[in-house]
Order: sequence, then structure tokens, then C-alpha cells
Amino acid sequence: MSDARIIDQGYRPYEGPRRGRAGAVRSLAWHSVLRALGLRRTPWAKILPIASVVIAYLPAAVFVGVAVLVPKRVRDQANVLPTYHGYYGFITAAIVLFVALVGPEVLCSDRRNGMLGLYLASPLDRGSYLFAKVLAVLPVLGLVTLGPPLVLLVGLTVANAGPEGFGGFLLVFVRIGAAGVVISAAYTALSLAASSLTDRRAVASAGIILTLLLTSVATHTLVERAGANEHIMLLDLFFVPFELVQRIYGDPGIRPSIATGQLAAAELAWTAGAAAVLWWRYRKLTITR
Amino acid sequence: MIVVDDVSKWFGDVVAVSDVSFRVGPGVTALLGPNGAGKSTMLRLLCGLTTPSQGTVRVLGADPHGDPALYRRVGLVPQQEAVFGSLSGRQFVRLAAHLQGLAQPDAAAVASLHVVELDPDDGRPMSTYSKGMRQRAKVAQALVHDPEVLMLDEPLEGLDPRQRLHLIELFRRLGSDGRCVVVSSHVLDEVERFGSRVLVMAQGRLAAEGDFHEIRALMDDRPNRLRVRTDHPRELAAALLGADSVVAVRLQDDALFVDTDDVGSFRRAVAPAAVRAGARLLELVPLDDDLESVFRYLVGRG
Amino acid sequence: MGALYRLFLRTQATRGRLIGLLLLGALAVVLGYAVGASPSADPVDDGTILMVSYGLALFVPVATLVFASAVLGEPNEDGTLVYLWLKPIARWRIVAAALAATLTVTLPVVVIPMVAAAAATGAGAPLVRGTLAATVLATIAYTGVFTWLGLRVKRALVWGLAYILVWEGFVARAGANPSRLAIRANARSLLVRMSGGPTRLISVSKPTAIAIPIAAAVLGVVLTIRRLIRQDVA
Repeated sequence: MSDARIIDQGYRPYEGPRRGRAGAVRSLAWHSVLRALGLRRTPWAKILPIASVVIAYLPAAVFVGVAVLVPKRVRDQANVLPTYHGYYGFITAAIVLFVALVGPEVLCSDRRNGMLGLYLASPLDRGSYLFAKVLAVLPVLGLVTLGPPLVLLVGLTVANAGPEGFGGFLLVFVRIGAAGVVISAAYTALSLAASSLTDRRAVASAGIILTLLLTSVATHTLVERAGANEHIMLLDLFFVPFELVQRIYGDPGIRPSIATGQLAAAELAWTAGAAAVLWWRYRKLTITR
Repeated sequence: MIVVDDVSKWFGDVVAVSDVSFRVGPGVTALLGPNGAGKSTMLRLLCGLTTPSQGTVRVLGADPHGDPALYRRVGLVPQQEAVFGSLSGRQFVRLAAHLQGLAQPDAAAVASLHVVELDPDDGRPMSTYSKGMRQRAKVAQALVHDPEVLMLDEPLEGLDPRQRLHLIELFRRLGSDGRCVVVSSHVLDEVERFGSRVLVMAQGRLAAEGDFHEIRALMDDRPNRLRVRTDHPRELAAALLGADSVVAVRLQDDALFVDTDDVGSFRRAVAPAAVRAGARLLELVPLDDDLESVFRYLVGRG
Repeated sequence: MGALYRLFLRTQATRGRLIGLLLLGALAVVLGYAVGASPSADPVDDGTILMVSYGLALFVPVATLVFASAVLGEPNEDGTLVYLWLKPIARWRIVAAALAATLTVTLPVVVIPMVAAAAATGAGAPLVRGTLAATVLATIAYTGVFTWLGLRVKRALVWGLAYILVWEGFVARAGANPSRLAIRANARSLLVRMSGGPTRLISVSKPTAIAIPIAAAVLGVVLTIRRLIRQDVA
């Protein structure tokens, strides 16, 4: 008997399992993570995000090296190692650049090249689409807000220059986590909100950087040079998350007169406000292709 | 007017054009090929917008990349849609005329716009133009300085049928006036109306060049197919099978589909065969002598 | 070249860009006024720091980046450069027209608010003169560099911001040598030397502070012309 058979190569409907909205959210989030980091794309797409990540981790590597090579007595005398919350001062430029790149990459591209219409023709709706994007951007930003201090913690602990005892380690670990979440949450909202306002990635990136730098320079000038009330600093999108981080570590920060509750409220207001802008823009958006 | 000698062009590991040589003189020549064949790259090489990785390109005796003075004699209608959207059509064409060094750029722009049937007094910015209007403005800027060599990358895109016919007629006229017109197009039935000289590219290589009827005749590995309508198809079929030039005969309804490897001999043999069979010949039509068939055979090889 | 210059002016001076940058300029003036209106122990110091931290660190480079990176960068990206390139014009003329148009738009947009802000601080004529000199020098330098950047890379705006943030804001602070290679540090040194502001902001000598930005501008122009001649178009 012949074993020949005709295989129907024509169109066949999909009969496999359907993962529904949750599966779609997971897929989109994962794809957005890859896109944000320039993975599976040309080398040019990787340069800036990877450079930002490298710059963020470089000081940690250096400080761990110092901890290993320099004797404790000399280290303590010269005070060469930073605090975990002080570490952010070394990598602010990298964080800002990364924040400015990630949001536009994951949001603007979809609108510009028409993919948004395709996504919304799937089980995703506008809310779950944005949720997937938040799910992608938060951990990606965590690469530069959470990762480097963690590397510093682990490296210093291994080099015997870390916190005292397991309790101390755990406390710093939790603080690093909380600090990372505070910074990532605020900047995720800002990055995505700014990216919802324009289809052009470069313009969105420029807008994010300018917003951060402008609010910082303007409020600093008004407070330090023009004698304005210190609470104007709550309008500084740089100051609020990083000052809150200081408070998480029990440090009074650079503006002790501003209460931690006020900082937390400002952080919440900025994050919620940016999220509201993002939701409003996408609710209004007419998808034509 | 255009001489391409052993030209190859690669971008990293991708070979876009490989060992292509041809000459193009006055008249209209169509550059054909499927997507990714290297047509746009070839056109860019001819205009000097990119340089060959190997080989030489000469347009009117000069290197198109290294000699900006040559651009007085060359016009290009590029494929991309983008134009200076804030300018009106007249301003756009006048700018081209001005940059070409014409003595009266505005007059030249008006004349050129009339040729492509655009209103010179329409002051709207081109960002508000339809696709067809923008395309015609692009053609106008390429013609404004009366170039000897004209390169057109998909010039009919976005045009309605009447505008297409108008421009096809314009390009034919330019070709018959002694200009060298090279057209890259996917619209084969319209390309046929430009003229019969073609350059066919496939996978970066030149698959064929010349008159496409003559190219078809050279394809001796593919018998020509003709349709014969007659009142006695079976009888005529039986009579034709005896002819040397007939490779195969297929009967369908009241028509015969005949494959022959020698069209000339077949045409001489079919009438006597019809007389012998007592059949009346109602129609004799070649089915694959058109450009589309030639193109399909060429790019479908290998 | 006049036709090219007018074309570039037209494509550069879009409403959105002008409004955005005029607002940034207005902010500089507001901040200058706020500094001038407050009781200050050292108006020269305060005024200088404002001009340096807002003006030279942010406003001037960003404004120049917005115009300069787009003048040839946008036509290159959207394919309209072919309509200029395929003309019997020497490439240096195209670049010259682009640079002239960029400076025509950028200089008033940055110099006027910067000078007004300096005047508003009440720090006196030396600060105004220093601001004028430093702003013009920095604008010319950034124009040369960012025009080349616009032609060289896609998304030049992001690359330019990365340069401003990472190189000028971070790397150049590492020492005297990297500082010499940063336009901002040179412009800042010139401004502070002329205004009599805080000397800790000086990182290079006066001749260096003038020579390096000019060299940067010239290098940018040469690289732009070279790039335009050699690159593939459309």
C-alpha cells in the first residue's frame, strides 16, 4: 500500500490553545522590553540604551574594585565609598538618558508605524495595552535604578565592606528595592506620558530630558538664587524622587525642611498626574490604521 | 548615453547589484524586476546617488557621483513620496529651476507645470496635495531644465488612468525626441506602452536586455503558446499534430491551445492544416508574447 | 545659494520650534528677573551661576541642537535631500547655506533672551558682555557640530542630547583635559572670566576657551562637507 498523501498547504484556521488577554499582555510586554533595549534589532538601536546601562553600572564596578584593593583603614580615612543612596548622584545622567529613550521607543513607534491598530484588533484593549507597556517599562527602568545599587551591595558585601550582619544586609536590600520602585514608578509615568503626546521618538526624548532638566534648574535658581520658598522644589521632577530616596535611607536629605509626607504626596501626584495624561491621550486617540 | 560596466554594489553582506553591464541610448528603456531585484539601487547608481562597489558607471561620458556639473543634463523623479511640503508646486519647481541655474526660473517652472497638467497658480502647500499631484510636481521638477537623460522611479504611482496615459505619452515623446529615458516600474501593461526596450533584473543580476519581443523569441526553452479558435477544433487539432513546429496541442471548449517552438513555421503551417481539416480559422492569438509573460519567464528562472 | 538659504530658513523656522524655544528663552528672562529682584549677597555670582546652569548648560545647546541637527538631517532622513543634491551646485555651498540659515534663526532665539536675562539679574555690564560673547561662541560651535551630527546619524536629536547630558554634563567634569573638549566648559570659562563670577567655574584659559569652540565649529563644517560629498543619498 502506498504511503503517498496530499498535504493541504492552503489556508487552515488555528486550532491550538488561545491564551486570551493575559497572554497578549505578556507577549506585548516582553516584546516591548526587547524593543526598549534594542535587542533583536540593528547594532545602532542598541548603542544608546546599552551605553546608558553600562554607565549606570560602571561606578559600582569601580567602587567594588576599590573595596577589594584598598585596605579598610585607608578607605575609612579617605571616605572613598559612597552610600547606597549617594550612588545615584554618580549615575543621574545615565538614568535621565535611559528614561528619555525607553518610553518613546515602546509607545511612539507603535503609533507611527501603525502597529497600534493591529494590537487593538487583538484581545488587547487600550487599558490592557497600556498596562502591558507599564509592565515592560518598569522593570527596564529598574535595570538602572535598582540594578546598580544592588550590584554595589552584593559586591561590597563580598568584599567585606558591606552592611553589618544579615539584618543590616536585609535592611539595605529592602531600601534599595523601595528606592528603585520610587524612582522607576515616577519616571515610568513621566516617560510614557511624554511619549503619548507626540509620535516622534526624538521629540518625545527631547521633551523628557528638557522637562527633567528645566524643572530642576528653574526651581533651584528660584530657591537658591532668588530666595523663593523651598517648597517650590516639589515641582522639581529630579528632586522629588531622589530626595524621597534619601528619606528611605533615613537621611534628612538636602531639604530637611520639606516633610517626607509632602515628598511622598508630590511623588504620588506627579506619578498619578502623568498616568492621567497617558490614559487621557490614549482614550482620545483615533486609530485610523 | 549611459554605459554601465561590470557594476556591482553591496551593502555590508547584501549584494544588491551583481556584475551588471549594459548600454542605454536615446529612447525609452524600462527597468523591470521583482521587489528586491536591485532596480532602485541601479537607478541610484545611474544618478550618482550612490557609488558602485565595483565597476564603472558613465552618464553622458562622466561619472555621475563625482561631477555635479553633470546634473544640469540629468533629471530624476525619485521614488520616495516626501517633498518640501511647505512649498507650493510652483515654488518647488521654481526652486529646482533656480538651482539648475536657469535664467528665468519662474517661467520655466510655469511651463513645466503646464506640461504635467498642474495649475501654476495653485498656491496651496504641497503637503495638501493628493498623491497624484505630488507625483506630477516631482515630474515637473525633473523636466524643468530640459535634461538629456531622465530617470524615473515608479513615475506613475498615485496617478489616475487619464494622468497615466498623459505621462506615458509625454515620456514616449521625450524618448522619440532623442532623450534617454529610463523608467523603473512594476506596472507591466503600462510599461509596454512606453516602448519595447527593457532591462530585466532579478536577484541583483541583469536577466535580459533589449526588445522584449526579441527576448521572447530567444527563449527557445519555452515554447510559445497560441490560442486558435475554429469551427472544427478536433479535426484541426489532429491535422496540426503532424506539423514539425507543433510541440503540444490542448483542446478546451472550442479553442485549441498550441505550443510551438517556431512561431513563424507554425503560422505558415496552420492555414494549410485548416484547409485539410475542412476547418475555418476564427482567431489566432499569441498568449505569451506580452511583457508580463516574458518577465515572468525571466524572473522565474532558477 | 540664496535660494537654498531661503529654503533652509523656511524649513527650519517652524512654528512649533520657535514657540517652544521662545518659551525657554522667556523662562531664562523670568529666572533672571527673579534673581535680580531677590536680595542677594553677590549678584554677580548668582547671575553668573544662572547663566551657566540654565543658559549654557541647557538653553543654548538644546536650542542650537533643535535647529542645527534638522537643517540637513531632516532632508536626509525624509529623502528630500535628493532634490538639492542632484543639482549642479558645489557641496560646500549647500552646507554654507544650511549653516547660514541655522545661525540666522538660532542666534536671535538664544542671544536675545540670554542677554536680557543677564541684564535682568542686575549683575552689571560685565555679565551681559560675558553672556553675549559666550552665547555667540557656543552657538557657533554647537551649530558646526550638530549640523554634522544631523547628517551623520538618525535621531540626531537624541544623540545630541546624549552628548549634552553624558559628555558635557558628566564626562567633562572628570578633569581638566576632558573639560577642554567640551564646548560648554569653554564657553563657561569665558563667561566667568568676563563677568568676574565664581572662579571655581573656570576650567580652561581664555585663549583655549575661544580657540576650542572655534576649532569645533570648523571641524564640524569640514566633516559636514565631506559627509555630504561622500554619502549615499536617498
